[in-house]
Amino acid sequence: MRKIYSIGLVRGLLWQILGTAVGIGILTGIRYLLGLTPWKPESAFVFGALLGALFFVYGIGAVDGWIKVASGKEAPELDETNWGRARYFGVSLDHKVIGIQYLVLSLVLMLVGGSFAMLFRTELANTGLQFLTLMEYNTLMSLHGMVMIVGILVGVAAFMNYLIPMMIGARDMAFPRLNAFAFWLVVPASIILISSMALGGFDTGWTGYPPLSVRAPIGIQMFFLGVSLAGMGTILSSLNVITTALRMRAKGMTGFRLPIFVWGSLATSMISLTATQLIGLSFQMVMFERLFGMGFFDPAKGGNPILFQHLFWFYSHPAVYVFVLPGLGIISELLPVFARKPLYGYKWVAISSFGIALIGFLVWGHHMFASGMAEYLRVPFMYSTLLVAVPTGVKFFSWLGTLWRGKIVFPVPMLFVLAGIVVFLLGGLTGPPNATVATDLQLTDTYFIVGHFHDTMFGGYIFPFFAAIYYWFPKMTGRRLNETLGKIHFWLMTPAFITLSTLMMRIGLLGMRRRIADYDPSLGVTIDNRVMTVAGFLIALGILTFLINAFWSLRHGEIATGNVWNSRSPEWQVPSPMPIHNYDKPFEVVGEPYDYGLPDSQYIKFIEEE
Amino acid sequence: MEHQTKSSAMQLGLLVFGALAILTAVEFAIALTTNLWQVLAVIPFIKAGLVLYYYMHISRLFENDEDVDKESFAYKLATNRIGLWLFLLSDMFIFGGLMISRINLLGLTRPDLIQYLGLGVTTILLISSFFANRAEVSMESGDRRQFLVSISITMSLGILFLLGVLGVEWRLAPFGPSTNLAGAIFYIMTGFHAFHVFSGVIFLAIVLRNGAHGLYSSEKHWGVEASVVYWHFVDVVWFFFYPALYLIGSLAK
Amino acid sequence: MRRYVIIFILVIVSTFVVHEWLMLVHLFPREASAQSIPVDQLFHVHLWVISFLFSLIMVTLIYSLIVFRRRKGETGDGAYITGNSTLEMTWTAIPLMAVLVLAYAGAKTLGAIRVIDPTALQVKVTAGQWYWRYSYPEFGVTSSDLYLPANRQIDLQMTSVDVIHSFWVPEFRVKQDIIPGRTVDLRVTPTLIGEYTVRCSELCGLRHAYMEGKVNVVSQGDFDKWIAQQESAAPESPELRGQQLAQDYGCINCHSVDGSPKTGPSWLHLYGSIVKLTDGTSVTADDNYLKTSIIQPNAQVVLGFPSNVMPDFSTVLDQTMVESLVAYIKTLK
Ligand code: HEA
Ligand code: HEA
Ligand code: HEC
Ligand code: CUA
Ligand SMILES: [Cu+2]
Repeated sequence: MRKIYSIGLVRGLLWQILGTAVGIGILTGIRYLLGLTPWKPESAFVFGALLGALFFVYGIGAVDGWIKVASGKEAPELDETNWGRARYFGVSLDHKVIGIQYLVLSLVLMLVGGSFAMLFRTELANTGLQFLTLMEYNTLMSLHGMVMIVGILVGVAAFMNYLIPMMIGARDMAFPRLNAFAFWLVVPASIILISSMALGGFDTGWTGYPPLSVRAPIGIQMFFLGVSLAGMGTILSSLNVITTALRMRAKGMTGFRLPIFVWGSLATSMISLTATQLIGLSFQMVMFERLFGMGFFDPAKGGNPILFQHLFWFYSHPAVYVFVLPGLGIISELLPVFARKPLYGYKWVAISSFGIALIGFLVWGHHMFASGMAEYLRVPFMYSTLLVAVPTGVKFFSWLGTLWRGKIVFPVPMLFVLAGIVVFLLGGLTGPPNATVATDLQLTDTYFIVGHFHDTMFGGYIFPFFAAIYYWFPKMTGRRLNETLGKIHFWLMTPAFITLSTLMMRIGLLGMRRRIADYDPSLGVTIDNRVMTVAGFLIALGILTFLINAFWSLRHGEIATGNVWNSRSPEWQVPSPMPIHNYDKPFEVVGEPYDYGLPDSQYIKFIEEE
Repeated sequence: MEHQTKSSAMQLGLLVFGALAILTAVEFAIALTTNLWQVLAVIPFIKAGLVLYYYMHISRLFENDEDVDKESFAYKLATNRIGLWLFLLSDMFIFGGLMISRINLLGLTRPDLIQYLGLGVTTILLISSFFANRAEVSMESGDRRQFLVSISITMSLGILFLLGVLGVEWRLAPFGPSTNLAGAIFYIMTGFHAFHVFSGVIFLAIVLRNGAHGLYSSEKHWGVEASVVYWHFVDVVWFFFYPALYLIGSLAK
Repeated sequence: MRRYVIIFILVIVSTFVVHEWLMLVHLFPREASAQSIPVDQLFHVHLWVISFLFSLIMVTLIYSLIVFRRRKGETGDGAYITGNSTLEMTWTAIPLMAVLVLAYAGAKTLGAIRVIDPTALQVKVTAGQWYWRYSYPEFGVTSSDLYLPANRQIDLQMTSVDVIHSFWVPEFRVKQDIIPGRTVDLRVTPTLIGEYTVRCSELCGLRHAYMEGKVNVVSQGDFDKWIAQQESAAPESPELRGQQLAQDYGCINCHSVDGSPKTGPSWLHLYGSIVKLTDGTSVTADDNYLKTSIIQPNAQVVLGFPSNVMPDFSTVLDQTMVESLVAYIKTLK
């Protein structure tokens, strides 16, 4: 019993349950004392969930260090050398452990979100309602969207945390405690988010527009609260990434000698640091509207439903670039390794990440072309939206330039990189038709949009991140993932996915709206839907193969402690897996990061102790 | 030498406080007379600029320390500073969002509030910022007694501010959060702000306690700096909220 | 040089092939409105752009993968090329120009579909969970199917009584969200006689999938006939019209006429009775009180019932409709 309790995660979960109960109790008690009807489920659950999250963070010990410091005691970093596997199940301050924790959480979330997709995709295989009720469909669909998105944010944090300190030669992140805290905040937040299913679900989609969300069942409160808390976690984690990249670089690592992934991460973190507050705020405003009757978005009180959409998209558009910038960074990072050539036009690629991020702040209105927002805003938003194509194009052309006259090899990570490029191209090219107002009025809220964003998200995130997993798995574990299983995974997933998304666009053009549990047989899209469902299952099968591969290779994979891919990046210059504080000796940057093909060139040199 | 920098820093603090007080009085006067919203919208930026530069020392962020040893205290201190300011930048977006909502929903109208109470709590917060600055200056010159006194005053004023807003204004306001839009905006803006003041008070309390135990020295007092900068930030937010809620525009119905 | 020529040719060929393929697979619903013409023209510009860019990148990519793959036994790295500023400038500048042209074309098209004809036929659209209602103020006709005369611009004045809905007929190529508490307008000029379906395309709760309605585009003659038919079919007396309205606009979902409890107070014995309000006062339920209760439901809230539940019908019901409703409520006294 003691032993189980000593596992951080278990302790945290127990505390979360306790906290929720205490919260519900306190609120009910207060209402009783005030002479109100004691049992008001909505406020009770909101308060309980909030307290539960705080209790979790406390119970697992993510704030122990700060409490010590605040009470004037020393709080030295603990030596984690002999903790063994337990490190991964509790609070560890090592950025590599936190990175892997994020990665596992991300995989779990995406599996949950993906299974939801499989459920409602099965429902859509035929017209009429098969086995889901309308409420179940809407809840699954909405949670699929948001759980996947949180899963992406977590996955982005995984690679930023794991890679950045190693790439820039730091021993850890700038604020290791904050790092752990941010991660352990996301865990209860995810639990709260998914618990919305148990409280009646909600029927609003991941966008949660009022007034619909004001009328939804209590589940929506858990959705809002979970996302707000997870948002808090991403804010803190991106703060950490920026500070680390600015302050902890090795000697000689100037801006344009950073590995390109760091540039993408910096741009990403600028977005999540600032814009995330607004999705939090917009969600909290709806929460308050529900709890206290504040009429921000209630037309009956003079409120403005459009205001919510502005606040929401001010984050949620830039957020889509949060999903892809690190992924595109990974593509740019891996292509030179497998083409054995320098990254073409490094500086432009680096700057283009910031270009995308900055322009990305000015385009949110393109989600609202049909919303009835002020008419004169539509054209400026159309121009700004189309401008994003320019820096994105720079990346594509640079990739082509990198491949040109290379000596290209095709191990599994490279396959995923290439598929990422193709799929992201499909997604990107379907952006401009959405961006010109007149065509968007036809496309908005149809499956065309659904196709557009699955393409961008798979191409900009899922494929590159699978590439990253195959690529850095040896660094994490000292073993390689099995190549054959990897190829099976790839060939199951890629054609199936392209079929899925292409059909989404087709049925969207033909008139199928999104977010519907049942569709009109007269549209003539039943067969397409059936094929899509099958394609969805093939993707799931592919991912299952990957999971089997991962578990199997963890134990039995080919041992790979050296520079598996013959990369120039600093982390590959030392044996895998990395020791706790990364490099034994500090290094100095003496050359360009991607000078493949330049004889006798070196990126880094370890500084020998005198 | 040491003594002189301290007293000149104190003097500067007082001067800045004077300027802020005058600007606030001007705001109030304009509100009562012409109610030119353009002027009322500009003054907070001037006030914020003064505080950012003189009280919060924003320029410290841009000190070049390329050659400093990365393991040294000075380098880590500067890193911490960047972390703190990034946090404030992020926080700013919440308050920005609230301001946008207020502008969108209320336009040139404002909630019906007790003018003198508003001026009162604003003054309290302003004075508290002055003492927060004094506390930091004292700590820098190693004057622990003066530091403890100033920080206690800051903290008490903070609590007084909270009582003024939550205890008095919230009770006396002729509307509740659900009565009308003005009420909703008023409660959410003051609520978010009060939450920040509250956390600021807690930080100050921790610093006070640790300071009393002699944990800080004139060279090493990151805790003091952080909590004071945070406190000023919360004050700067109020510079914008005060005219937005109390001064600009005509009464909302 | 030879490589570039090959790629150039392949890109051109591929562009046409992709474009042809996109035209062959059936993608667009019929064009049934004047607005659909410029919109589809813009779509076709997009299809060309997409075909070209897709071909450009895919051809170059696949060509590189084949030609520059590492062959058996080969070692060493690729050519050491780090970039070329002129080329990089070019591939920034050309897309920049291209998107500006695209945006300009987009703005033009938007202008074309927003042309406002002052002689347009006004139709009031009311969306609610989960129904569509239309009224023709010119003729005083209400209906739950939309009838439109062909070749005349229609000015849809739309409002919602609860959450956001969206008016979309795929064949018309235009869409507009309908926001509670305000009236938004949408212009469409149907050109092709036939039957269509309006599909609510903003998630509006459980039955969003089923929020569809019939749209009939008919000739002017048939339209006039339909109007005449509706007018004669409409009950003569305001009382009966009120009864119909109470049904059409969902009043009876919340108000019973037999005294049984529902979300709102029953209308039985309402007229002339003394109504207690939440603010402690009482009023007599006369014509005026009933009118205000309908258009400003929150002005006087009945004791024991929540405020903000009854939708605000002020933008939905016009003067005569309200009067008919009151007349109907009077009959229940
Ligand atoms: C990873 C996420 C991601 C990315 C990268 C993008 C990228 C883009 N998106 Fe997408 N988008 C989403 C995720 C993403 N989107 C999501 C999730 C939604 C739906 C949200 C919801 O409602 O639920 C959405 C919805 C959405 C809409 C709203 C549609 C609607 O609901 O009505 C619009 C409208 O303008 C849009 C446009 C664009 C554009 C122009 C780009 C551009 O950045 C694309 C740029 C890339 C290219 C253009 C290709 C490569 C460039 C070249 C080869 C250069 C030359 C190009 C030209 C000259 C054109 N997106
Ligand atoms: C990254 C985000 C993401 C991903 C991966 C997916 C994956 C899938 N989505 Fe997704 N989808 C969204 C984001 C995503 N979706 C969003 C935001 C919406 C909008 C919701 C809304 O309208 O509110 C949406 C809506 C949506 C709809 C429209 C629903 C509607 O409008 O009614 C459909 C319909 O077919 C669909 C299908 C699928 C299918 C079959 C998959 C399959 O590919 C799933 C198969 C996958 C699995 C079984 C497991 C997946 C596991 C991993 C990928 C782990 C990888 C992890 C790492 C690499 C770290 N999705
Ligand atoms: C969603 C529920 C709902 C719908 C739909 C609805 N009402 Fe109501 N109505 C209420 C409620 C609740 C009240 C009591 C609170 C109040 O006075 O606002 C009410 C009050 C009233 C009153 C005052 C009754 C009294 O006892 O004094 C009138 C008259 C009225 N409604 C007419 C209408 C008409 C006409 C329609 C349709 C065009 C309609 N209502 C549709 C819920 C509804
Ligand atoms: Cu109405 Cu969807
Ligand atoms: Cu967007």
